[in-house]
Amino acid sequence: MNHNYYLQQSNEIELFEAAASMRLPILIKGPTGCGKTRFIESMGERLNLKVYTVVCHDDLSAADLVGRHLIDESGTYWQDGPLSKAVREGGICYLDEIIEARKDTTVVLHSLADYRRVLPIDRTGELIEAHPDFMLVVSYNPGYQNILKGMKPSTKQRFISLSFTYPTPENEQEIVINESGVDESVAKKLIAIATDIRQLQDSDIQEAVSTRLLVYAAKLISRGFDPYQACMHSIVGSLSDDDELLEVLERLIVLHFPKTES
Amino acid sequence: MEEHIGKVWNNFLRKKTDRAFSSKEILFDEKSRALKIFYHLMGGQKAQELHVTDKRLVSRSRTLLEKISGFGSAFYLSWQDERALYLPASIAYFDDKELNQTTYFWLTAMAAVFHTTRGSYVQRNLQASKQLVERYSGFAVFYEKAVRRSIEQRQDMRDLHDKELLFIDSLKLETIDSNCRYSIDDIYPFGLWIYPPIGKTTLLDEEEDEEEPQRAPDSLDKTETLEMKKQSNQMDDKKESDGLLMFLPDSLMSILEQVNVDRSEDDSFDEDALYNAQDLDEITLGRKKANLSARIKMDLDVQNNQSEQYPVGDGHFIDEWDYKKETYLKNYVRIRPIVDINIEEIDLPKRLKKAAKRVQNEFDFMQLDRLKSSNLDSGDDINLYSYLEFKSHQNRSLHPNRFYESFYKKSRDVATLMLADISLSTEAGITQELRIIDVIKDSLMLFCEALQRLDDKFAIYAFSSLKNSNVRFHIIKNFKQPYSSKIRAQIDNIKPGYYTRLGAAIRESSKILKKQPHNNKLLLIISDGKPNDVDRYDGRYGIEDTKKAILEAKKLGITPFCVTVDTEAKEYLPYLFGRGGYTLIRDGKKLPKALPQIYINLTKQ
Repeated sequence: MNHNYYLQQSNEIELFEAAASMRLPILIKGPTGCGKTRFIESMGERLNLKVYTVVCHDDLSAADLVGRHLIDESGTYWQDGPLSKAVREGGICYLDEIIEARKDTTVVLHSLADYRRVLPIDRTGELIEAHPDFMLVVSYNPGYQNILKGMKPSTKQRFISLSFTYPTPENEQEIVINESGVDESVAKKLIAIATDIRQLQDSDIQEAVSTRLLVYAAKLISRGFDPYQACMHSIVGSLSDDDELLEVLERLIVLHFPKTES
Repeated sequence: MEEHIGKVWNNFLRKKTDRAFSSKEILFDEKSRALKIFYHLMGGQKAQELHVTDKRLVSRSRTLLEKISGFGSAFYLSWQDERALYLPASIAYFDDKELNQTTYFWLTAMAAVFHTTRGSYVQRNLQASKQLVERYSGFAVFYEKAVRRSIEQRQDMRDLHDKELLFIDSLKLETIDSNCRYSIDDIYPFGLWIYPPIGKTTLLDEEEDEEEPQRAPDSLDKTETLEMKKQSNQMDDKKESDGLLMFLPDSLMSILEQVNVDRSEDDSFDEDALYNAQDLDEITLGRKKANLSARIKMDLDVQNNQSEQYPVGDGHFIDEWDYKKETYLKNYVRIRPIVDINIEEIDLPKRLKKAAKRVQNEFDFMQLDRLKSSNLDSGDDINLYSYLEFKSHQNRSLHPNRFYESFYKKSRDVATLMLADISLSTEAGITQELRIIDVIKDSLMLFCEALQRLDDKFAIYAFSSLKNSNVRFHIIKNFKQPYSSKIRAQIDNIKPGYYTRLGAAIRESSKILKKQPHNNKLLLIISDGKPNDVDRYDGRYGIEDTKKAILEAKKLGITPFCVTVDTEAKEYLPYLFGRGGYTLIRDGKKLPKALPQIYINLTKQ
């Protein structure tokens, strides 16, 4: 089995395990590319639970989660959605970017996310009691600028929340090395670049460079790509379209990796 | 003939003594925004401003030629105080454009890490340099190159003095501790270093002092486009009370109407002065503002429309944030709510009718906030799932037989408070006929028309201020009032007021928004410039207070968003509202049409 690499930041693994044993639902928030999805997958492996991932979008209906009737040659039959499947069979149901879903959709989670742990399916009149191994996990990125998107407080308050940020420099360095096989000196420089860029968050750029982007850059470099070019394409290019900002970011890269012509 | 000889002599001396490579010059103006971002990148304080420095005189040994020519005693050296970082207006130290450019970024980085260093200025500079060289390999390459070039350039001048040897010696990063005996005054001025604030050269190694910085950053008046800054000898004439007004202030207006009181200082901008200034090496500046109107700070408390503006009560007090003391000044600001009365109701002005129609159509077209409703008896579309359900139902006779779906409108859960800055600066023109205030009025009206269509809840307030004691908060439309021709009249009646105490206005607006029952609260601010007021509410003080007010609003669950027509907004708005928290409309005329669009984007479902 292919094991997911995950490096603990603070106490999230213990917390998740504790929550899993108590069957409490978990809410994870954090900026993009900081390891939310990776964390869930690695926890699934660790606890030996299947992970059902649903990426939420604004057209996601309750039927997409719960299930619906379909037709075949012998008539109609009921098809479980990912949520009902996880509820029946046990496993982690992971709703990624939950604020993208409409608020009325997420209401179906309410009875699952409190002490009742049941999922009523009104179309079939069924009331599924959650499997002992069923666990509900949702995640979102709080950095978006839209006042209408957000979670209903009544939904929010049914979860234990875990806040993710970017890893500490030491951890991030280890992650980058582990993921890409790049050598330590290069990893150190990449982390230094990221640390500087993250100071611009909230004032000059909307969201700072993610660990994911650093890993991309490191992967390019370890494959023999020129470090300056790798950083320009994977880190700088995807952060902004503002020329002056790009110039400054390029300058920062040059301070670490000498410039080469493309 | 004499003049000709003079010129030749001058050129000869210049060539011999001037070490600047003017063809490789980099100008501050071209780089200012990039430098500012870089300053943040290096960890610098986000409210610090970046300015051009004045020339400073440095007592140092000069070569004989330099002494004769008079060159070489003044330098543009970088320095910083708690408000701003001051950099040379141009850099041409090296015969290499890239190197000169990097010098700017180096200086910015030095300033950003300078606060982490301790000791004398020499030591601090060395520590800062060392930090940068160790952290950034690119800076290590630059530093090595720059130092080598500087030393070569010094040696070109042949006879090295003791001080210059000291200079070379002092640049060695390895020997920071042994160098502490040097004072920065002894060492030849070095362009890669940060120097003590101008005017404090005698108090060299002193830590930051408590008092106000000695010169207000405003003295770099934007209207003066001198290419180089001059050594300024400052006269201590800033204190207003020292002046003598030979007449009663009451009569001031009438006198001003007839004659220009102070002949020696014309109100108009003197282009000759600018021309002359470029030739002068030293200008003695008074620390007052250039023109008379700006210099006499007096509350000319004449209400601009006495018969109509009606204060509601005596006002109430709110707090203000003092960033220096890091505390709130309790009940420091007085808010005075004002309504206009006795005004005639008006229809939507003809010029706006077309635009209003279009905006409304756009809103319809976008099918905003339409929600799907299924299981209907009749509707726009067949809902396949309800049909499937019917098919799969055990007892079909019990099924409701509703197979249609439709879209319907639902009022949204948003409350928007529009806050318009109507300070005196909105009196300025965008074109010959059109003032900023006119554009703001049009924007407000169109916005009302648009929101009316959506059925969203909104309120409109406008503000201007005159010191902390009088923040005028105009009620144009509150949340309860329906939009009507009366509201239109209120908008139409808006007139430019005084100054912009933005923090206070935001706090007051937050208070109103907080009381609204809606889940989503938007505070939309229309502004045309930086927060400022006649008292100390200016520069960093104003920025920090506004920032605090915005944070408070966010804590209350309010989303602040700023729409500005100030083209220099990039200097301060990112710090105040965050990158995604503002929009700059470069062409002020487009504001009325842009505003509804911005609103849509912010509240799109």
